[in-house]
Amino acid sequence: MLSALRQAVGQPSRIIRRRLATIVPSNIHEGNASTISEPQAQSPVSQTQSASTGKQISRKVIDPTEPVYLTMSALLLEKQKYAGQRAVALDPTVFGHPIRRDVLHLCAVHYLDSLRQGTASTKTRGEVRGSNRKIRPQKGTGRARLGERQSPMLRGGGVAFGPKPRDFSTKLNRKVIQMGMRVALTLKAREQRLGVVDHLHWLDRKTASLNRRLKLLGWEAGTLFVSGEEEVPSSLKIAGNNLPGVDFRTVADLQVYDLVKWRRVVLDMAAVHALERTLSKGWAHGENLIINTSPASPVAT
Amino acid sequence: MSAMASMMRTRASRITLSNLSPNPKSQHAQKRLGRGQGSGKGGTSGRGHKGQKARSGNGKPKAGFEGGQTPITKRFPKRGFVNPNRKEYAPVNLDRIQHWIEQGRLHSSPENPITARELVLSGCVHDVHDGIKLLGDGAAFLKTPVHITPSKASKSAIKAVEASGGSVFCKYYNPLALRDCVKSRTDRVSAAPTRRTDIRKITPIYPLWSFIDATLNSAVWYTDWKNRGYLSPEAIGKMPIVEERWKELSKQLLAFKDQTFDTKKIKKA
Repeated sequence: MLSALRQAVGQPSRIIRRRLATIVPSNIHEGNASTISEPQAQSPVSQTQSASTGKQISRKVIDPTEPVYLTMSALLLEKQKYAGQRAVALDPTVFGHPIRRDVLHLCAVHYLDSLRQGTASTKTRGEVRGSNRKIRPQKGTGRARLGERQSPMLRGGGVAFGPKPRDFSTKLNRKVIQMGMRVALTLKAREQRLGVVDHLHWLDRKTASLNRRLKLLGWEAGTLFVSGEEEVPSSLKIAGNNLPGVDFRTVADLQVYDLVKWRRVVLDMAAVHALERTLSKGWAHGENLIINTSPASPVAT
Repeated sequence: MSAMASMMRTRASRITLSNLSPNPKSQHAQKRLGRGQGSGKGGTSGRGHKGQKARSGNGKPKAGFEGGQTPITKRFPKRGFVNPNRKEYAPVNLDRIQHWIEQGRLHSSPENPITARELVLSGCVHDVHDGIKLLGDGAAFLKTPVHITPSKASKSAIKAVEASGGSVFCKYYNPLALRDCVKSRTDRVSAAPTRRTDIRKITPIYPLWSFIDATLNSAVWYTDWKNRGYLSPEAIGKMPIVEERWKELSKQLLAFKDQTFDTKKIKKA
């Protein structure tokens, strides 16, 4: 409404009207410019003229037929070379979504609100133990008038508007949370911080062997493993339980907050399928093609 | 383009938990009263000085209070009463029905007449209220034969419908029967009209009584062929689907017409 008033007065509208795609200028990328490279040709950029300002606006539209390619990684050493020659085609509507920082903020705040215990409690003047006796006569003492001993005015009395146990959780629209997941996954993919493995099976339950392997991969400090199965594979979970820089989630437990917080996110193929099943917006292919490719494609660092 | 770029809030650093923020102006800080002069809402906290509105609790007199002046709700006398037996019929005119039939939203046949259910579902009537009354506005537009069973019908509507080859039979619906009709429930039996069904007093000194009786007494109203009532003997003969109950009802409700009082000759002394 304010923009309508501005237009009536003759001032250019300050708010860029957003239509189907969030406006992202094509020459600036989020993240470290030196390491990011778009493996395929630049995504189609449509030039339109804003009705109010008359300026040329470039809008990056998600082409649903152009997947996001990612070279595969492997947790087991013997599979690594084989994996390095393969790339997975990821759904661009899930892993190539326009970046929305404000949506990530909303999701993070919503999640943290839900964690609050909300158990702070105080006693009001009605709950503090004591009788209702009037402390001193209304008149005649020369001092201020006082009623009961539990009044908040007095030392030892109740708290006037103190905290009570309450629920701090908030509502966030389901579709906003879903968009947050898409943005967070896109973020990780774009920042070269996403890895996809075939599966998350680990052969023994020894923490030392897993630690050695993660050090070799460079994954020991801050990696979140997401499994698409009903439970995270038990051997991996037991091996990695005591490692501080590593954590495990199933797709059902995955939060937007986790995706932003953890430095690196490694998904197994089942997780990729599960995420695309719930988050995809009608992708043209519908299948994750795993293609053989040269190691020139971006790899998770 | 550079101006656009600066408006985009792009940053070269990675997005982490430490640099998330909401969109500007999307969130507004809470107004906190009584927290010092700098906030602008300290001291009297936006209430001014003294007076009823500055007090804690409600701080307002009861609704409608005019400071002691006789309030507008007390200046005028109460009048009348609300009749709980009042009936409000949803009117539907003939031109509307004709229009609906032409559009194909209503169909009727003698075996499947138009009832309240069809009128509501087709949108001819938005709410059935206490029943449907068929009215005769736009009778000139009525061309197709219409078979309809409303709660009531006006005389001109009856005339026009029958002139174009249709049929009107007015059926009594109490609230439950109307609901069953609209919801298409057939497991229950619809009740008969009962108001003032007792043998009516024939008082010749009050000639209007018969008129009042016929209009107020629904049992009498529905036994009258003039109104195309479904309990009239002619209607029982003409209606394609007749319940056995109605035949018996019709007979019993009209029994008074043939009944007379025994008059004893008073002996003259």
